[in-house]
Amino acid sequence: MSRLLSVENLTISFRTDEGTITPVQDVTFAVDKGRTLGLVGESGSGKSVSTKALMRLLPRTASLGADTKMHYTAKDGQVMRIETLSDRSREIRALRGGEMGMIFQEPMASFSPVYTIGNQIIEAIRLHRPMSKREARAFAIDMLDKVGISNAGARIDQYAHELSGGMRQRAMIAVALSAGPALLIADEPTTALDVTIQAQVLDLMRDLQRELGMGMIFITHDLGVIAQVADDVAVMYLGSIVERGPARDVIRAPKHPYTQGLLAALPSLDTLSKRLTPIPGEIPSPNARPSGCPFHTRCAQKIAGLCDRKIPREVVPEPGRAVRCWLYDENGRAVA
Amino acid sequence: MTDLPEPGKPTHITAETRQAEKDRQRRLKFYSASQWTLIWWRFRRHRAAMVAAVILATMALAGIFAEFVAPYGTTTRNTGYIEGPPQVPQFCDDNGCSIRPFVHGNKTERDPITLRAISVPDPDIRHYVSLFVPGETVKVLGIFETDRHLIGLADPELKIHFWGTDDLGRDVFSRTIYATRTSLSIGVLGVMISFVLALIIGGVAGYAGGFLDNAIQRVTEVVRVIPIIPLYMGLAAAMPKEWSTTQVYFAMTLILGLFGWPTLARRIRSQLLSIRNEDYVVAARLAGARPGRIIGQHMLPSFTSFIIVDLVISFPYMILSETALSFVGLGLRPPSVSWGVLLQQAQSVRAIEQTPWLFIPAGFVVLAVLAFTVIGDGLRDAADPYSEAK
Amino acid sequence: MLRFTVERLIGMVVTMALVSLMVFIIMEIPPGDYADRYAFRKYSGTGISVTAADVQAIRVDLGLDRPMLIRYFDWIGGIVLRGDFGQAFAFETSVNKVIGDKVWLTSGILFATLILTYLISIPIGIYAAVRRGSAVDYGLTVFSYLGLALPNFLLALVMLYFANRWFGSDIGGLFSAPYRDAPWSLPRVWDMLKHLWLPAVVLAWSAVAYQIQTVRATMSDELNKLSVTAARARGVPEGRLLLKYPARLAINPIVSTIGFDVNRIFSELPIVAVVLGLTELGQLLLRAYLDLDMNVAGAILLILTFAIVFMNFLSDILLAWLDPRIKLGA
Repeated sequence: MSRLLSVENLTISFRTDEGTITPVQDVTFAVDKGRTLGLVGESGSGKSVSTKALMRLLPRTASLGADTKMHYTAKDGQVMRIETLSDRSREIRALRGGEMGMIFQEPMASFSPVYTIGNQIIEAIRLHRPMSKREARAFAIDMLDKVGISNAGARIDQYAHELSGGMRQRAMIAVALSAGPALLIADEPTTALDVTIQAQVLDLMRDLQRELGMGMIFITHDLGVIAQVADDVAVMYLGSIVERGPARDVIRAPKHPYTQGLLAALPSLDTLSKRLTPIPGEIPSPNARPSGCPFHTRCAQKIAGLCDRKIPREVVPEPGRAVRCWLYDENGRAVA
Repeated sequence: MTDLPEPGKPTHITAETRQAEKDRQRRLKFYSASQWTLIWWRFRRHRAAMVAAVILATMALAGIFAEFVAPYGTTTRNTGYIEGPPQVPQFCDDNGCSIRPFVHGNKTERDPITLRAISVPDPDIRHYVSLFVPGETVKVLGIFETDRHLIGLADPELKIHFWGTDDLGRDVFSRTIYATRTSLSIGVLGVMISFVLALIIGGVAGYAGGFLDNAIQRVTEVVRVIPIIPLYMGLAAAMPKEWSTTQVYFAMTLILGLFGWPTLARRIRSQLLSIRNEDYVVAARLAGARPGRIIGQHMLPSFTSFIIVDLVISFPYMILSETALSFVGLGLRPPSVSWGVLLQQAQSVRAIEQTPWLFIPAGFVVLAVLAFTVIGDGLRDAADPYSEAK
Repeated sequence: MLRFTVERLIGMVVTMALVSLMVFIIMEIPPGDYADRYAFRKYSGTGISVTAADVQAIRVDLGLDRPMLIRYFDWIGGIVLRGDFGQAFAFETSVNKVIGDKVWLTSGILFATLILTYLISIPIGIYAAVRRGSAVDYGLTVFSYLGLALPNFLLALVMLYFANRWFGSDIGGLFSAPYRDAPWSLPRVWDMLKHLWLPAVVLAWSAVAYQIQTVRATMSDELNKLSVTAARARGVPEGRLLLKYPARLAINPIVSTIGFDVNRIFSELPIVAVVLGLTELGQLLLRAYLDLDMNVAGAILLILTFAIVFMNFLSDILLAWLDPRIKLGA
């Protein structure tokens, strides 16, 4: 299994009127070819910001930490150090779209209202593939067909507001895939869709990923979705990854109290009669980050004097997994 | 294992907890503050708007107490100082310095070329400037009779012209102060008239909807489409020439007010229409609230602040329109004084070259319009509940 | 698109009809009527005393004794069917003769102003939005405030003053002396163009101040749109991205306010004309008002307003063509 992307110590800060805030701190994760990493967390946990940093899409007020490393192995085998690329370089333009494709939460807003979807797909194709206008158009129709849009030859000349929500998201997937990326970043792609459509779109994405052999980062706040699509999972809380590991293992036996809380808050068929257990409290804002473990303000198992003072280090409870919590000792065994 | 102090035990108060308590109080005050208090707090932080408010308040006060602030009347002539340049009070001259500010007196000389009699400053004569000096007897606010004026020369026989004089020897400073009253008050009355009209017309349209709304929309559109100054001019031209200055004054406010409503009416209408279907209004209706309560409690508060902003920013149009109309001779007429009337004397390039001080009223126009615009912007920022989270 | 155009066309005609009625009412407002003024003008100073009966005779002769609505249809019918605006009593000729080629001069000023406004405000507004918070952006905000606060006649005076100092005295008006009353010819057009820039700059001033703010605000909004991020995420180069996505949409509010700009320009025209000594419709309108020649004034007001209504119609059509969402909503 070859490594596609490895991110180390990703730290992102924003300059604001009230001083510098740091919504992402020391985040480390990796994506392999053909595998899906699920990024889970509540809104405000820094998932979207992290992936935007991968494509250097952050606003000008943002800055990366000094020891941030984002290494990406391009299709031609070259290793790109994303954090060193300049915003307007040819490399970054090739990376955007050509190497990494991105799908957003709001398919309606992802399309410009004044151009047809065809215009925007063809734009993506011609930026990254040596094709004439006519070839690109034929390719775009194929692509729309592939993502399950019927009558693609006619749809290509329609505007986003003329399509249904599910169709729009399919079209957005077509835009993202048409340039042939090796890594697909999907930022809550199904959140804004109806439940039945959600399942269809998820199936479509999984099928396409297998067919094209892409790596994928799938952002969601829904652990249930992770179980369906992800191979690996990283749980984020307030800008840090609190737990990561193979998706099955993490969901079957969560180690971090936050992951446990997320799972307990998830409805399932065999616990229908029971009340769900929400995690108490709210996620603090990034400019009022608690000291010590960021989760200690909401944690039922916190150790006073430790959790609220010192930031927990990452320990390895079993091979392939990692957790940041004072409930586990250096060797990853639970502290009684 | 708990962070809370056990009951009964004296709480150990640290600087940290005191600060936390202060913050909590501050937040509590913030969250429980009324809409208007919040707007005022945010407005107060808008420095430019506060400066503008002070400038405007000064102008308004000077206008209200014009009789007292202005050293002389609007028609008082100083035939010894015609088209005279501004006299700036000074503390020092070639003959030494003085604690009291003074100006030089004038002497009459013959122009060496034209042989016309002209007045030139005589550096040997000093006239001292004082506060609360005696002068013409006037009625302040129409009630209090006094012969005292805010500022002038100690000797009532002599005159000082801070901003010079016009072609008849009338004091530009005094006339500008009186003009400030006229121009600002026309603005206020005009805005009030158009506000009432807008409230009725927009309210009816937004509330009734349907055919009435359509009809009103059409009329509004027609009024908006006619260029406003030519329209005002048409109405102003219709004023009978024999009307008194008071009649003309009120006719002007009426003309300005009568056609100032379309923008505001549209705003009120669209606000009413959009709010009518807001979830919280529907919820109130479903909860059985009476229409009066729905309007008073739920609909009005959500957009009164915007209406106020719109009112403030409609002042500049009134002021500029009045100035423009009077400037071309279709608005107020002498002997009335308004900024526009005063600027009538400054219509030519010759005036810029020879008597630039006649343009001082234009500075007032610019200042007033700027002030209203900046205050409007400040209010708009302050009134927007989403402008900041804390 | 065809249905949309027809709908707007009907709307335009309805508005024009209502406008004409409104203008006619304004013409009727001044005390006395055409007959009074005609009689006064004709016989004053001749020593002949005019009786009420004489005036009434003139009135009947001119058909002014008929009900207002009939006179309205008479007036508007003459304009629509024969292009005849009636008699100008103060000028003692027909209104058409008085107005003459001034319509073309006025359109010249109008289009010069519009083009100048958009050439300046669109690029600068876009630049200010992209460079938000920069010194240039801040300076432009100050300029906009000033642009809106400076009365146009004052600006005209100041500009005239400097123009006189720098370019010589023959800068006011629309023509230099030899061409003032000459028939149209190529040199005369050239002469006019040489004079046109001053009124265009004065009239464009406040429109520029206003439109820069509009473009800047829309552009700032559009820059933060997800569709722009999405386009950037597929590798669109920055310059092309700005032009194709946010800038393309930032022009829409400009297009939708063309009518307002024309309105503003016409509104300021009479005042600016006084100062700059222009000989076009605005100046003529003012003269007609001062002389109470309501036939001329009404004709000019009608022409100006019709032009605005027509520009509104054009901007609606242009906007629908630029923004596919509008046709759907209409």
